[in-house]
Amino acid sequence: MQRIKNPKMNSTINVTPLVDVVLVLLIIFMVIAPRLNLDQAITLPETQRPPDKPQTERQIVVSITADGQLHVNDQPVGREQLPQELLAQAAAIGEAQVVIKGDARLSFGHVQKTMFEIEAAGFKDVGLIARQSEGS
Amino acid sequence: MGAQSQDSGGGYASEINITPLVDVVLVLLIIFMVIVPVMMRGYDVSIPGEAQVAPPTDERAEQIVLHIEDASCSIVEPPQGPGLPAGCVVHINDTPVTVERLAGEVAAVYAERSGDDRVLFLAAQPALNYEYVMRILDAARSQVQDLKIGLVTAG
Repeated sequence: MQRIKNPKMNSTINVTPLVDVVLVLLIIFMVIAPRLNLDQAITLPETQRPPDKPQTERQIVVSITADGQLHVNDQPVGREQLPQELLAQAAAIGEAQVVIKGDARLSFGHVQKTMFEIEAAGFKDVGLIARQSEGS
Repeated sequence: MGAQSQDSGGGYASEINITPLVDVVLVLLIIFMVIVPVMMRGYDVSIPGEAQVAPPTDERAEQIVLHIEDASCSIVEPPQGPGLPAGCVVHINDTPVTVERLAGEVAAVYAERSGDDRVLFLAAQPALNYEYVMRILDAARSQVQDLKIGLVTAG
């Protein structure tokens, strides 16, 4: 009896590790999906030697898409609400630097205007995020 | 014989199955390997506020401003490929410089300066393309260490 039972038990595939892995993948993609969408919408300007600008907790990311839509930490924000939103984010994390991810197709004036608005909200330094060009 | 088989059976049951743990850890490792190369790179730019007291005139004469103007450097449309705009002339204070020679010229200007005096002010016309302005800025600071970039506040 026992000899017949044992081979039967071995023949079933153990799906537990598979389910574990799939669930972990699902959770991770759920977390990074909104971020990826915005990053794909913005083509960062390509330069030869952009200095490293490590991502930290104390950064507020202001993204400007090619059509001029502003985002603060990946959440769409109207131009009028930008100062309040920046101050609210800064209050949550303390001393913060604003970094701008501007689309390469924008005019310099558009980015400049946003920089002045950020300065008016009380941030003296901003970071302009760029991408290192390929093959250099 | 009977005792032996019982022993091995008991041994199997008491071992922790680490296969799912290893699976999950490997998947996490792969995901972090994919995410980490997407490191941010960028330029720090300071914006002198309007409330800030204007520096005395003799110091102001020392300020070095990089002017990019539509008249001598038409870069309104986004670039089609990598590299600096061809035939573009910018001005360091009032001296015209082609973008190809910009890195060397800026290095010569800042050779005598150090520390807090190494500030380059950027005055680009609003209509110009952001990516080209960034490339010119990158070329300007490429041969000077610790060059700070400032934004000219008044148009």
